[in-house]
Amino acid sequence: MPSFKLDDKEIPFEPGDTIIRAAHRAGVDVPHYCWHPGLSVAANCRMCLVELMPPPGRPAMMLDVLSWDDLHQTYLPQKKPKLQPACQQAAADGMVVKSQTSEHAVRARSAVQELLLLNHPVDCPICDQAGECRLQDYWLEHQASKKRMRDEPVHKPKGVVFGPTIVYDAERCIMCTRCVRVSAELAKDPVLSMRERGNLNEITVAPGRQLDHNYTLMTEYVCPVGALTSSDFRFKARVWFLRSARTTCVGCATGCSSFTDFDPRNQHVYRYRPRENMAVNKYWMCDEGMLDYQRIHQNRVLEPRLKGEDVSDAAALARAAEIIQASAPQKTAILLSAQHSNEDNLALLDLGRAIGALQIFYTGRPPGKGDDILMSEDKNPNRAGVLALSGGRAKPLADLAAALKEGKIGALIALGSAIENPNQAAALSGSAQIVALSSHHGPIADAAAVVLPASSWAEADGTFVNRLGLYQESDRAIVPQGHSRPAFRWVQELAKRLGLALPWSKAAELRALSQAPATPSPSVAPPAASSPPSASPPGGE
Amino acid sequence: MEPLDQDLDASELELPTEPMLLNVGPAHPAMHGTVRIVMELSGEVIERCDVQVGYLHRGFEKMCERGNWTQVFPYADRLNYVSPMLNNVGFSLACEKLLGVTVPERCQWYRMILGEMARISDHLTCDGAMAMELGAFTPFLWMIKCREMVWEVMEEETGARMTHSFGRIGGMAAPPTDGFKDHVRAVVAHIMQVLGEVERLLLGNRIFLDRLENVGVISAEDAISLGWTGPCLRAAGVPYDVRKAHPYMKYGEVDFDVPVGTNSDSFDRFMVRIAEMRQSARIIEQCLERMPDSGPVNVDDPRIILPPKNEVYNTIEGTIQHFKIVMEGVKLPAGEVYGYTEAGNGEFGFYLVSDGSGTPYRVRIRPPCFLVTAGLERVITGQMMADVVPSFGSLNMIGGECDR
Repeated sequence: MPSFKLDDKEIPFEPGDTIIRAAHRAGVDVPHYCWHPGLSVAANCRMCLVELMPPPGRPAMMLDVLSWDDLHQTYLPQKKPKLQPACQQAAADGMVVKSQTSEHAVRARSAVQELLLLNHPVDCPICDQAGECRLQDYWLEHQASKKRMRDEPVHKPKGVVFGPTIVYDAERCIMCTRCVRVSAELAKDPVLSMRERGNLNEITVAPGRQLDHNYTLMTEYVCPVGALTSSDFRFKARVWFLRSARTTCVGCATGCSSFTDFDPRNQHVYRYRPRENMAVNKYWMCDEGMLDYQRIHQNRVLEPRLKGEDVSDAAALARAAEIIQASAPQKTAILLSAQHSNEDNLALLDLGRAIGALQIFYTGRPPGKGDDILMSEDKNPNRAGVLALSGGRAKPLADLAAALKEGKIGALIALGSAIENPNQAAALSGSAQIVALSSHHGPIADAAAVVLPASSWAEADGTFVNRLGLYQESDRAIVPQGHSRPAFRWVQELAKRLGLALPWSKAAELRALSQAPATPSPSVAPPAASSPPSASPPGGE
Repeated sequence: MEPLDQDLDASELELPTEPMLLNVGPAHPAMHGTVRIVMELSGEVIERCDVQVGYLHRGFEKMCERGNWTQVFPYADRLNYVSPMLNNVGFSLACEKLLGVTVPERCQWYRMILGEMARISDHLTCDGAMAMELGAFTPFLWMIKCREMVWEVMEEETGARMTHSFGRIGGMAAPPTDGFKDHVRAVVAHIMQVLGEVERLLLGNRIFLDRLENVGVISAEDAISLGWTGPCLRAAGVPYDVRKAHPYMKYGEVDFDVPVGTNSDSFDRFMVRIAEMRQSARIIEQCLERMPDSGPVNVDDPRIILPPKNEVYNTIEGTIQHFKIVMEGVKLPAGEVYGYTEAGNGEFGFYLVSDGSGTPYRVRIRPPCFLVTAGLERVITGQMMADVVPSFGSLNMIGGECDR
């Protein structure tokens, strides 16, 4: 593999790599604002300037400059090497590149940083980016000097509403154009561009348009400063109080890798962020997924319920056991949920097996909007997992409705909250007694005789199988809300009450069983996502 | 602890030959700093004893791992709380050693003056309390009044009498006040005068001498092997003083002597402290002479020192500097360092481990009086019960520092 030398480190690269990409892969950071591994090269921030040493025997490319001379108190003509942006410069075998070891590059970065802060408002105390802002980090690392400009800074528009999700502050903007490139290259909707020149530069939305494609929050996510802010997250939390859990988005069958950012003090989730996963979502997530965290705290069932009344855990469990015992095993059915993790579904399957229930159904959320980038029409994160666990025996919602109508079911143990076809909600309120393990209010919880409050995906470790058949783990972020518990814990309690043995007793054992089929077959791909995700998002070539 | 009362028949009470177990502390007026001593007495002679420390353990070292490096200063204050300024300076020096920065000259003199004032306050307290515990209440009142004057200087400079939190990495929280030098000179002169009066009151007093001389003796070898430092070690005749042996700040440039004792008894420890106060006064006088009246107190490095407030409010660079230092803390380079200074009770060390972030990875404190207290058992075994109080007092165990 060819390689070049960056400072004192040998960096291997693949043909076609730029210096910054090869260094990024090798874990060496060359400071940058405008470059993003998933976007095209703009080379406009000039933060990644490096000094290229000339090949042996060749003179360096030098520029004539005037530089201040302290001794003579005047500007004197000097020579300085021509610096190159590492994001644009192709790597060549045997090249010698100086980044932190070049005094010229160090001075250039300090000057770039000073220029970027020249007109920057004193906004850190009210800026959502504070704490994760490149301007702050690079000031400390590359500038660390005081303001020299004495003039009034240039003022530009603040609080410009770009669309339903994004608010723009032109004064904070450093014109890196990452947001412009995300719109054009990821969302394929070139709705943003730059207007004016120099000091008056600002980002604008195309006339007559709003920033309203499916990936608007990615413009905020890639913004290295606080210019673009999400109207959802704006002024809600300070990032240094937040902690992150490595999770999987449950908004649709794509299963994008994400971070769940929560405040450990009030156990509240404040946002998702995409987590790099080249096999699934590369660097990105869609708006619907990014805002899906809201469901964690909305419309939740937090207390055990009997006929709409809040009761104690013990009372609810006793009634649930009564219902199950009153029904003959062949008239007992279980309803799996493509919304819940493999752990929850497997636990319920095991309970069904222990009872002797033979009728297995599954459902999930109704389908929604999809696109050929990341969004799947199937809004269930674990359809493939449920079908694989049940060995294909789980029948869809329509069959359940029919069975209920024919009176084949006496007791139904149902996992989940939503059903795929809301029109069939009426079918649930038949003669069958339903024991629901629901995290949210919805048709299942409404129709149930007993509701046991299940934890949401953010409150328990879980495994989800996405439309590609990838088994993905999602870590717990917050503690279970209210009286909720992970659904598999309720199942365990129920089994204890019924005097039945389950093949596992610890969460770790259940998890190991949930992940058993190490090589998922593509045949479990659900019909709703049958179109293969041709849809690889741009970037990460 | 074993039961004290024993079921004895009346006939057996005539000549009790069983040793008596006596517990003193931890809540006992003479056990300043909450320590507990369980003694086995034969008559009034201590046959065996067990010194138990840890009643003031507050988990300082662990607490240091939560905040940032600058937030350790309030904890450092509460170690030896009779001379907190010495702890502040010691911690600053350890951090600066790891950072590889040296504070401006003015700050070094300033730190030395405040540090020596704190040492005087420490020794005044120890010697005053020793005298009081032997019934000499007047010297105690005089010395504590002097200590109050020292603390008034501290209050003038730092805003707080005891827990100053005045040290900073790379400097001090504020420059010296305008009247600083005059104030210090007046206070030190007064203290020296009072010291003379105290000596006149005590050193001709038969009771005082009899209670201290040849009591609580420990050999120099034992003291060294126990890890003793400071006045207690010097009273044993070993002239080890960090300020002389490994000079830091400007201690190499000032003239002072290291007083040592000859008998290593409680009296020597008392006298070494008196003599050290006089040496501190000498050092202070030289520092006052040489400390410039103007010039920077803090190092000129925006990565370490907070910007002035008008810059924080009016420039983005100042805001970012403030934000970075306050929210993330001063970042000490990854590595470890042992910084040690001469505090009131001896070699006071900070062993710091940094992972390169703004939060300490580990802060280990070497408290001099923990090691000195470890020798208390050897000092009092074989002594009369009544001599425990002055012997213990002469070691100057400070709970905050010993137990951390």
